[in-house]
Amino acid sequence: MSLFSRFMDGWRKYRKPGYYDEFDYHWTMTIDLDKCTGCEACVTACQAENNIPIVGEEEIAKGREMQWIRVERYWEGEYPNAKLSFIPMMCQHCDAAPCETVCPVGATYHNQDGLNTQIYNRCIGTRACAVYCPYEVRYFNYYDHEWDSPLEQQLNPEVTVRGKGVMEKCTFCIQRIREAKDVAKDDDRRRVQDGDVQPACVQSCPSKALVFGDRKDTESQVYQSMNDPRNYRVLDELNTDSSVFYLKKVDA
Amino acid sequence: MPNIDRREFLKLVGAGGVSVGAGFMLREANKDPREYLIPHVLAPEDSSSGLSTWYNSVCSMCPAGCGISVRTYEGRAKKIEGNPSHPVSQGRLCSLGQAGLQALYNPDRLTAPMRRTGAGDSASFEEITWEQGLKQVGDRLDLLRAARRGNRVAFLTEGVRGHLAQLFESFMRQLGSPRLLHYDFDHPHTLYAANQQFFGENHLPYYDLQNTRLLLSFGADYLNNWISPVHHSLGFGESRHGRPDIRGRFVQIEPRMSMSGAAADEWIAAKPGTEGILALGLAHHIVAEGNYSGADRGAWVTALADYTPAAVAEQTGVPPTTITRLADSFVDTAPSLAIGGGAAGNHSNGVDTLVAVNVLNYLVGNIGQEGGLVFNPAPAGPALQQHRATYSTMLELAEAARQGEIDVLIINGTNPVFTLPPTAEFAQALAQIPLVVSLSSFLDETAALADVILPSHTYLESWGDDFPEPGVGFSVGAVSQPVVSPLYNTRGTGDIILDLARRMGSAEVMPWNSMEEFLKYGWRRIYQRGDPETLAQGFDAFWTSVLKAGAWGETSSGNTAFTLNPDVIAGIGVAPPEFSGSEEDYPFILHPYLSPNLHDGRGANLPWMQELPDPMTSVVYGSWVEINPETAEQMGLTEGDLVDIQSPHGQLQVPVYIYPAIMPNVVAMPIGQGHREYGRYAKDRGVNPIEILSPQIEPITGNLATSATRVSVTATGKRVKLVKTGGTSRDLGRDIVQTTGGLGVEVTSAADNSIPITEVTT
Repeated sequence: MSLFSRFMDGWRKYRKPGYYDEFDYHWTMTIDLDKCTGCEACVTACQAENNIPIVGEEEIAKGREMQWIRVERYWEGEYPNAKLSFIPMMCQHCDAAPCETVCPVGATYHNQDGLNTQIYNRCIGTRACAVYCPYEVRYFNYYDHEWDSPLEQQLNPEVTVRGKGVMEKCTFCIQRIREAKDVAKDDDRRRVQDGDVQPACVQSCPSKALVFGDRKDTESQVYQSMNDPRNYRVLDELNTDSSVFYLKKVDA
Repeated sequence: MPNIDRREFLKLVGAGGVSVGAGFMLREANKDPREYLIPHVLAPEDSSSGLSTWYNSVCSMCPAGCGISVRTYEGRAKKIEGNPSHPVSQGRLCSLGQAGLQALYNPDRLTAPMRRTGAGDSASFEEITWEQGLKQVGDRLDLLRAARRGNRVAFLTEGVRGHLAQLFESFMRQLGSPRLLHYDFDHPHTLYAANQQFFGENHLPYYDLQNTRLLLSFGADYLNNWISPVHHSLGFGESRHGRPDIRGRFVQIEPRMSMSGAAADEWIAAKPGTEGILALGLAHHIVAEGNYSGADRGAWVTALADYTPAAVAEQTGVPPTTITRLADSFVDTAPSLAIGGGAAGNHSNGVDTLVAVNVLNYLVGNIGQEGGLVFNPAPAGPALQQHRATYSTMLELAEAARQGEIDVLIINGTNPVFTLPPTAEFAQALAQIPLVVSLSSFLDETAALADVILPSHTYLESWGDDFPEPGVGFSVGAVSQPVVSPLYNTRGTGDIILDLARRMGSAEVMPWNSMEEFLKYGWRRIYQRGDPETLAQGFDAFWTSVLKAGAWGETSSGNTAFTLNPDVIAGIGVAPPEFSGSEEDYPFILHPYLSPNLHDGRGANLPWMQELPDPMTSVVYGSWVEINPETAEQMGLTEGDLVDIQSPHGQLQVPVYIYPAIMPNVVAMPIGQGHREYGRYAKDRGVNPIEILSPQIEPITGNLATSATRVSVTATGKRVKLVKTGGTSRDLGRDIVQTTGGLGVEVTSAADNSIPITEVTT
């Protein structure tokens, strides 16, 4: 089989409808905008868990901030009827991800759990994925960022420290998912149970606005939550088939 | 994915790895023999390769007292999370709490004791040994005590609860000095005073947000930094969508929309300082409509006679229809709850305002009710309120220093040089004290003026305990234990105090060798209050279980039968607020608020907090002043224009941020930046609005009325780029945040739906 026909086989399989039903797990998050207070505990949790560097004021002024999860804010109306809504935004782990198809080196791909995954040591830094991402949640390392000693002692040993020229983004805390799978395996359980694993943001959320779990488990909290009548997906009209469901803010 | 598991993968790699491995071994053999591939032959108990160890402890980043679980890996702290079994935090934690790691591993920590040499501009610090430092301080204390002049010693600490507070108290009793001051910039003195006046209790009740159906918050930014934000957020989430078919409704009354205002269903701008008048307007309507039928109704009718909706609307700027609507829904939507604090409590009428808020709870019968306000039992730790220092107490201390009445001042944790306005002249007062001892972990503005610095451990390295105030309807306590071994040549605050006590000859009364020993001594008494089952286990088992669980609780509840002292009713009334500066010269009211990220400035040395966008504006690293869009337009100001903010007592230059939800005659500034010391991340960044506050006090508590300063705003013609992460602040038809009129949820107060929220005028 020639290299080309192997490629074409893989391509056809990948584009086949229903391909994504074959996931082992289908990790999904829901975010209740009626509960989100905009406190950004999720942001700091993510910074701590995922070894995200401090880039400094000058870099942020250039629009080069690094926060895998951010809280966007949208004003509506004018004083005295002005209203502010918060919406946490991170990689939506689209099942039809625009970023995956453009990577010339296949550094970003869809894994067997429905996660949109970034392979750091394959990334060559074209930044094409960041251009294609409609949610603007991909962050590029313009420099080798350093930690003022001894801040580096805090770094999480489970997570790679990325170097210059590499794209990075939310992983749904894949290191925690891997660990939960290992624990489940050692426990002689076949599968990870609901509640076994939570990304750092979900774990820290003080108002419990964020819920995470396996959509294939119909008993799971996230399955119930994503089927809430208030559910919607951001920029759903782009058919990205994202794995992050938002629950509408209630205007009462 | 190829069908290959990890074990097979290792086999494959292993086969190819032998030759490579041999070379590696040879190289290793020639290396310096002191390097080890595995760092320990006999590893410490808590360090096993590849596995994390979790410790439960207590957060000390703000006064809420959340329980935390800290993940450590090979002796290093990696992550702080909420302790799921602690009733306050329940497994959750705010940004500042999580950033505690950067206090521990801060590059600008003080690493060893230091002594000031030289004077004036040439002053610098030289490193000394602990023995030198402790001897210098201890000898002086011993001398003073022997001469019965121990009252010339003052002890100034950040708000501390639990046994460390008790230790400070014994220490000062040994010296015979009454000058023990717990000072926090944001301590809610007016709330304590109002509750003392209304309920006759000097500790706070539990505000049951979780079960409430309607919350009226008069200025209290409860989701951000009012008392116990993590616990309030938990309650907020539960109230919103934790109960079938009930969605709690939240109303926020404040001149500038806070984070809690954004999360609320309705934001109402009342003129600054008139929040209490508005509360009494609601109370008037409740009584007038016959919705209160208590025996003391007559007294209430008389007391509230002046607060008719029309009169209140005139004073507060809130339309009468809104007043009556809020009052009616407050009655109809039981259980409801009114809370007050923040800026509303920091006016010249602060205590009266917060009493007025309690009146609402009283009239509707929310007191002692689930979903209302539940009394706490007296905290299990030592009673502290008498040592809580207000602004006036701090002025007295400064005055005493200037009069030469103080020989030694020991300062622990707090940073009054930063959090007191310059009119207090605290820095100058420090210069008059012969020996200023700082126990700070960082070289903050106050420590920089000390003569001797005996640096404390951070909370992650030291022993302590905490009894959160307010509790959660029952007594909660937790022990704070070291999660890593000390990084530097620092010592625990308790250990330093015990050492000094020994040096001044108080070893008989304070015989403990370490804070840990003292803690165990204290907790033995708590243990002895336990049930027979606990007692049967023995103290060691009890101690281990408290440390492991990271939380201890006692299910005795607080006062359930509440009767109002009838004398209180006659005294009800809120005077109009007084401001410093005339309206002609200073047309704007300054609304300083605690930065959500930096709190009262303590978070400014943590890079995560500096780089965390402000929740409302997305500004990072800097200071700004918030101005109403129309006002800004009239003045020709746009974002980034540098303006001079001038108060009767000072001037600051700061860029403008156009803020859509602030009253036209109010300008708001976050507190937290503007440090002159405090390490590389904090130093020389932004401005500190405390510097221009007028020394206006709230007369009942003597605390600084921080919201009572008027300012003028003048353009300088200069511009800067305001560094922020947010792009456009409007949705622009992208429909990113979607709303629903209550699909699938019953909205609590159906009547409210039909009335638009658009009627607030100024």
